[in-house]
Amino acid sequence: MQLHRSILESNLQELQSKLQEMARLSLDGLEQAIESLKRGDTALAGRVIAGDDKINQLEVDIEQTVVVTIATQQPAAGDLRAIIAALQIATELERIGDHAASIAKVTIRIGGEKLMKPLIDIPRMATNGKDMLMKSLKAYEDQDSILAHEVAADDEDMDLLNNQIIRELLAYMVEDPAKITQGSNLLWVTHNLERIGDRATNIAERVLFMKTGETLDLNR
Amino acid sequence: MIPETNSNYNPRLVARQRMGRAWQIVFMSSTVLALIFLIVLMLNIINSAFGLVALENTIAPSELADEPLEALEKEALVGILADNIRRNAGRKLEREQRFFADTLAFESQEKWDEVCARAEAPEGCSSTPRDHANVLALVYERVVEQQVLETYPLWDSITRGDEIRAEIEAQHPGATVEFWSWLDRNFLTTPMSSDAALAGVRTAILGSLWVIALTILFAFPTGVGAALYLQEYAPNNWLTRIIQTNIDNLAGVPSILYGMLGLAIFARTLEPITSGQFLGVGSENGRTILSASLTMALLILPVIIINAQEALRAVPSSLRNAAYGVGATRWQMIWSHVLPYAMPGILTGTILAVSRAIGETAPLLVVGAATFMTSDPNSIFSKFTVMPIQIFNWTSRPQAEFRNIAAAAIIVLLFILLTLNTTAILLRNRFSTRR
Amino acid sequence: MVANTMTTEAPQRIATAKPVVAERTEKTGTGRLALDAQDVHVYYDTFHAVKGISLPIHEKEITALIGPSGCGKSTLLRCFNRMNDVVSGVRIEGQILYKNQDIYAAGVDPVAVRRRIGMVFQKPNPFPKSIYNNVAWGAKINGYKGNMDELVEKSLRQAALWDEVKDKLQQSGLSLSGGQQQRLCIARTLAIQPDVILMDEPASALDPIASSKIEELMLELKKDYTIVVVTHNMQQAARVSDRTALLWLGELVEYDETQTIFTNPSQQKTEDYITGRHG
Repeated sequence: MQLHRSILESNLQELQSKLQEMARLSLDGLEQAIESLKRGDTALAGRVIAGDDKINQLEVDIEQTVVVTIATQQPAAGDLRAIIAALQIATELERIGDHAASIAKVTIRIGGEKLMKPLIDIPRMATNGKDMLMKSLKAYEDQDSILAHEVAADDEDMDLLNNQIIRELLAYMVEDPAKITQGSNLLWVTHNLERIGDRATNIAERVLFMKTGETLDLNR
Repeated sequence: MIPETNSNYNPRLVARQRMGRAWQIVFMSSTVLALIFLIVLMLNIINSAFGLVALENTIAPSELADEPLEALEKEALVGILADNIRRNAGRKLEREQRFFADTLAFESQEKWDEVCARAEAPEGCSSTPRDHANVLALVYERVVEQQVLETYPLWDSITRGDEIRAEIEAQHPGATVEFWSWLDRNFLTTPMSSDAALAGVRTAILGSLWVIALTILFAFPTGVGAALYLQEYAPNNWLTRIIQTNIDNLAGVPSILYGMLGLAIFARTLEPITSGQFLGVGSENGRTILSASLTMALLILPVIIINAQEALRAVPSSLRNAAYGVGATRWQMIWSHVLPYAMPGILTGTILAVSRAIGETAPLLVVGAATFMTSDPNSIFSKFTVMPIQIFNWTSRPQAEFRNIAAAAIIVLLFILLTLNTTAILLRNRFSTRR
Repeated sequence: MVANTMTTEAPQRIATAKPVVAERTEKTGTGRLALDAQDVHVYYDTFHAVKGISLPIHEKEITALIGPSGCGKSTLLRCFNRMNDVVSGVRIEGQILYKNQDIYAAGVDPVAVRRRIGMVFQKPNPFPKSIYNNVAWGAKINGYKGNMDELVEKSLRQAALWDEVKDKLQQSGLSLSGGQQQRLCIARTLAIQPDVILMDEPASALDPIASSKIEELMLELKKDYTIVVVTHNMQQAARVSDRTALLWLGELVEYDETQTIFTNPSQQKTEDYITGRHG
C-alpha cells in the first residue's frame, strides 16, 4: 500500500505551481524590459516595473506556504530539501524580477534618447540569461542534475560576454565623453544581466542540493 | 568474570545468586513433596481396591442347579429362593418388592390384600416387580451366602501370592482363593448391601449426580446473576459494600454450618415443599435430594459469585467502551461482550465450586443423607445418599472388606470428579477459542 | 492508497510532472457548527478536571485537542458523546449543543447520543468477534434496516481496509495487525453512520506507518464527517487538523486555525508548548 501525505503533497504541488508562475512572470519581465530598451518604449518599461509587484507578492505567498508546511507537516529529507529549495528559488526569482525592473528603469532614464549603437550583444546576453533561467527551471522541474551543470557552464559564456560588452562600452565612452551617461546606464544593464545569469546558476545549485543534499558552488 | 570497577558498589553477586538457588530448591521441594503425597494417596487407594480374597460358600451354586445360576429363568431362581430361605424372610422380601406382577411367591392373596389395605402399606404393594438381576442377587445373598473370609491388599497379593494361598489352605480348608477387583461392573450397577462382596455404589452415584445437577441448576444462574448485579449494576454505596463483605466472608464459613442451616430451613421449616408433600408425592420428611441440593447450592454460591465477579472485573474496560461507543445499551454490552468474555473465568470458578460440592460430606450428613439405601433415587423428592457419604459409611465399618469397597468407591468418585471437570474445561475452552 | 508496494520515490515527488495527488486537499468546512460546548465543567469526585471550556466544533473539519497529560483533553472529548456517564463519580456541568439540542438535557438518552457521535479509542479495541461482525454489530443493535453485507463492505472501504480483509471477513478481528485493528474500529464506527467521530489518540498505540495511514484516513473522512481528535502528538495535530485547541490544566488556552496555532500563536503558553519549552 502506497502511503500518501495528501496535505504535504498538495502543499508541495502548490509551491511548484507558484514557482512556475513566478518564473513565467520573471521571464516575461526580462523579455519586455530588453524589448523596451531596444525600442525606447518607456510605457512598456513602466508595465514591467509595475509587474514586479506581482512577483514580489508571489514570493511572499511562497514563503507563507513554506512556513506553514514546515510548521504543520514536518517535512523531512527529500521533502524538506524540496521546500527549502523552493524558498530559495523563490528568492532568486524575485531578485531576477528586480533585475528586470532595474533594466526597465534604465529604459525610462534613457527616455527615448537615441541609442549610441544598435543593441546586439545586450539582447544576446539577455537571451542567454533567459535560456539559463529556463534551463535551470527545467532542471528543477525534472530534477535534472546534468541540465543544472549545463547552466553553470553557460554562466561562463555570460561572464565572457559581459566582459566583452564592458570593454566595448568603455571604448565608446573614452572615444566620446558625451556618451558616458548612456554608456554607464547600459553598463548597469549588463551588470543586471550578468546577475541574472548568476541567479540562474544559483537556482541550478538549489536543484543539485534538492536532488543530492550537497551544496555546490557553481559560480566559480 | 566481569570485575566491578566502581568502588561505590559491592554487588556480592555470588552470594545473591546462591540465595536465589536456595529458594529455588525450597520451592521445588514443596512441589515434589506434594507430588509424593498425591502418589502415596493414589497407591494406597489402588492397593486396597484390588487383591486376593478367600471365599467360602454356604451352599455351592453347583448343588442348587445343574447349570450356572445366571442362566436360570427368574421363576427357577424364585424357586431356589423358596426352597432355601424361611417363609417369613420371603414374605418380608415380597413386601419390599414383589417377585411377580400377577402372582405371589410367598404371601397368600388374602393376607397380601389385607396388608396392602392398611394405611401404611409396604412399598411392595405399589412397586414394579423385581427383575432377573435382582432375584439373582437375592439368591447369591440369601442362599449361596458367599462369605469373604479374608482380603489381602494388591501389593501383598502380587509379592507373596503363593504364601497367601498356602496360608488360606491351611486355615480354611474348602475355601477358594480368587483375585478380585473390588471395582467391577457389578460394583457400579448394584445398590447398597450389608454384604461387602455384594454391595455397589449405584444409588450413591445416582444420588451424587442428582444432587450435583440440581445444585448447578440452582447455584449457577443465581450466582452469575448476583455477580452481574453486584459488578455491573449495583451503585457503589454502603449497602453494596456490606453485601459484598458478607459474600466474601460466607465463602469461608465451615460447611457444617451450611448443613445446620439446610437442616433448619430446607429439611424442617420448608418440609412440606422439600418433601414434595405439597404435590402429594415424595418422601415422608424433608431429607430429600431437593433439600440437599439447595443446601449445597447455598454452600457454593459465595464461591461462584466471587469467582464470577473476578471474571467480570477482568473484562477490559476497552471492550466495554467499544460497545458503548457504537451506541450499545448496558444490557447489550453485557450480553454480547462482557458475558462471553468472562464466561471462561466464570466456568472455572463454577468448576472449582462444584468439585468442592461433589466431595462435600458434612453438610449432607446434617441435612440427613441416608446411610443405607437400596432403591434408586427417582425424583427430586427422593431420599438420597451420595458418594462421599457412602465412602464415609464404609470406612467406619469394622469388617476389613468394607475398606476395600470404600477404596473402590473412592476411585469411582475421583473418576466422576475428573469426568465432570474435563467436561467443564472442554466447555470453557470452547468459549475461549470462540473469541 | 492504491499502489501495493512501498517505493522510495519520495524525493522526486515535488518535480513529477504529473503529480500523484493533483488537487489541493480542499478545505471541507461548511461554516456550520457540528457541536458546541458551552462552559463545560467536569469533576471527578472533587477533582476539577475541565474548568469551564467553551469550544465550537466546526462541521466537516478536523478539530484537534492538544495539551500535556492530564490537561483534560480526553475528558472533554468523552463529554461530547457522554462516555463519561459510564464512569462513576463524574459530574458534568454546562451544555453541549448538538443540532441545537443540549445532549446533557434531561430526557436525552446517552445511547442515542453515542449512536450519532461515534468514538474511536486509543488502543485498538475490536470486539472478540469476526471482522464482519465487528462492523455489523453496532449497526445491528441500532436496528439497521438496509443490506448488512453492503453496509459492511462500504464501511470497510471507507476505512481503507476492504482490500486487506475482503477474503477473510469471518476471521477474528483480533487476528489483524494493530493498524488494521484501528481501521476496523473506525469502520465499526462508520457502520452506525454517525455525524461526528471522536478519536481519542487514535494512532498513539501504532507504529509510524500505521499511524500515517490513520492520518490519511482522517483527511479522507473529513469530507463526510466531523472529526474531533485528541492527541498528545502535536505534530499529528499539526499535520491533519483544521483547527487546534490547546488545553492546559483543564482550561482552554487557545483555539484557532491550526496553521495559526503552529506558526503564530497569540498566547505565550501556546508558543511555549508548541516549541517544546513549556515547563
